[in-house]
Amino acid sequence: MILAGKGRIDRSARLDFRFDGRALSGAPGDTLASALMANGVTLVGRSFKYHRPRGILTAGSEEPNALVTVGQGAHRAPNTRATVQELFDGLEAVSQNRWPSLRWDVLAVNDLAAPFFGAGFYYKTFMWPRRFWKAVYEPAIRRAAGLGALDGGHNPDRYERAFAFCDVLVIGGGPAGLMAALTAARGGADVILCDEAPEPGGRLRFETGEIDGMPGADWAAQVTAELRTMDNVRLMTRTAVTGAHDDGTYGALERVALHLRDPGAAPLECFWRIVARRAVLAAGALERPVAFAGNDRPGVMMAGALRAYVNHWGVAPGRRVAVFGNGDDVARTAHDLAAAGLEVVAAIDSRPDAARGGDWAHHPGSVVCGTAGGRDGLEAVTIRKPGGETIRLACDALAMTGGWNPSVHLACHLGGRPQWDAARAAFVPRPGMVPGMDAVGAAAGDFSTAACLAGGIAAGNAALSALGRAAQAIDAPAAEDAPYAIAPLWSVPGKGRAWLDFQNDVTVKDVLLAAQENYASVEHMKRYTTQGMATDQG
Amino acid sequence: MRLPCPLCGSRDHREFTYQGAAVMLDRPAPDAGAEAWDSYVHLRDNPAGATRELWYHGAGCGAWLVVARDTVTHAVFGAELARQVRR
Repeated sequence: MILAGKGRIDRSARLDFRFDGRALSGAPGDTLASALMANGVTLVGRSFKYHRPRGILTAGSEEPNALVTVGQGAHRAPNTRATVQELFDGLEAVSQNRWPSLRWDVLAVNDLAAPFFGAGFYYKTFMWPRRFWKAVYEPAIRRAAGLGALDGGHNPDRYERAFAFCDVLVIGGGPAGLMAALTAARGGADVILCDEAPEPGGRLRFETGEIDGMPGADWAAQVTAELRTMDNVRLMTRTAVTGAHDDGTYGALERVALHLRDPGAAPLECFWRIVARRAVLAAGALERPVAFAGNDRPGVMMAGALRAYVNHWGVAPGRRVAVFGNGDDVARTAHDLAAAGLEVVAAIDSRPDAARGGDWAHHPGSVVCGTAGGRDGLEAVTIRKPGGETIRLACDALAMTGGWNPSVHLACHLGGRPQWDAARAAFVPRPGMVPGMDAVGAAAGDFSTAACLAGGIAAGNAALSALGRAAQAIDAPAAEDAPYAIAPLWSVPGKGRAWLDFQNDVTVKDVLLAAQENYASVEHMKRYTTQGMATDQG
Repeated sequence: MRLPCPLCGSRDHREFTYQGAAVMLDRPAPDAGAEAWDSYVHLRDNPAGATRELWYHGAGCGAWLVVARDTVTHAVFGAELARQVRR
């Protein structure tokens, strides 16, 4: 659904594309996901094991559900995230893991047999006769469970690899990364800024907050423009840093031409080895879902993602939206939705003392304990009030937020372990986990925009002094500095299956079963339940 | 891993070829006797930790280097030209 006059992309130009053979249209700046949402498509995929109908959950590279196959013949790329794939004219995408069609999937019968398919089902069931595993069981399971398939032909596309060297590598171009890059660049250092999005800005592109009195997205565009004019800065957009290795070597994958209809002479992707004397990890944070019964139904999505679709792309999955969470993001989301002209059906906050954020139905101390609807999406949610009374609310979409997890992944690549921060209810990096790399901003657990900006300046100056250059006196721009108010909420007890890992179909019950069978260490639990083993790593 | 070549500077390890422990440079005299030669050819330590190794900079200056590094922490302490070590 398009919200007329909302969003930051221009919807007057039109791009035609096809999804499962259906002719649809979007606009330049759309991702495949936002274009599907603009066309009212809610069902985009089937889940790995139970073939459950799934919709778009996120707005970024962490997407577990909206995996599609893009392109045709030997060019086809399975398991492409619709939230990452940028729209171009003539794009052809098809859904995966369903037969004969996305709407009528025969193997959805697996879902009815789900009580038998708990954690460790394969290990307990397909044990005898021994030679049947390779000949019969494994091929059958591989056909039934799975993601996209390759064509089988030789891929004719071009891929490239390259090396780059710099003084300071900044990983992530949100408020912290932009400030770190700007500080280091003004100090004369040779800077590479990598951001996985088409434009830097991070969450600033998706939120409504202001920096120095201008919209955050405009501020990010202004800083980006300044960085582009500097000779000692290389701005690498559509580039995800994938690995931290010894002696300041980093791997990075650039999507050079995946967003173009005709790549021409350009390779589709380029793998970079970047050697940096110092690095700043400003990779931001990922929002956590809440595990409640039926949380995988199309129409249930992350609150931060919904704000991105509304604020940046000007689209929404439905007119009536409920918001559920455990922190101040509930009120923030409700506010943005109301400002975009959507009906906020309810703001459901698990904290009993949650303040009413605006003029909408406010349910403090309450949780969502169930969802109802068909394969095309949500029709209602059931909420449980503090007294135990349950209410059913009709709605088209539910935004959920369980707080934010700093993106500590790269910090852990040399064997360092992050530490638990109880106040933020999240793991944060320890200093020195990767020599020469500092984590700042949301990646270090500082979630307010002001803290990100100040942290970025400090990290830029720390890198400059480590390189023997003079620190720069830069004033942090004015921005919101709200405290991160959150009460841990991991799962909502009750009947029904509550999904923890959407892509590999792992529920709260599977994890409890694994623990009961003494696969209690995280690594054993992961191997036994397959949680976190899909393409999104859970 | 990056190795500090004394002639070329810090370079990616893909430019180098590993030969073995730098004890190869301590070749006994031809008449040193069977025991010394047996020890030189066959008896090698296999330490986990600090090592001295021979690396050939084939994709760079073509020099043989003696690299001091730690096989446990991956730390590289330094590199010298083998011809200077041998002297």
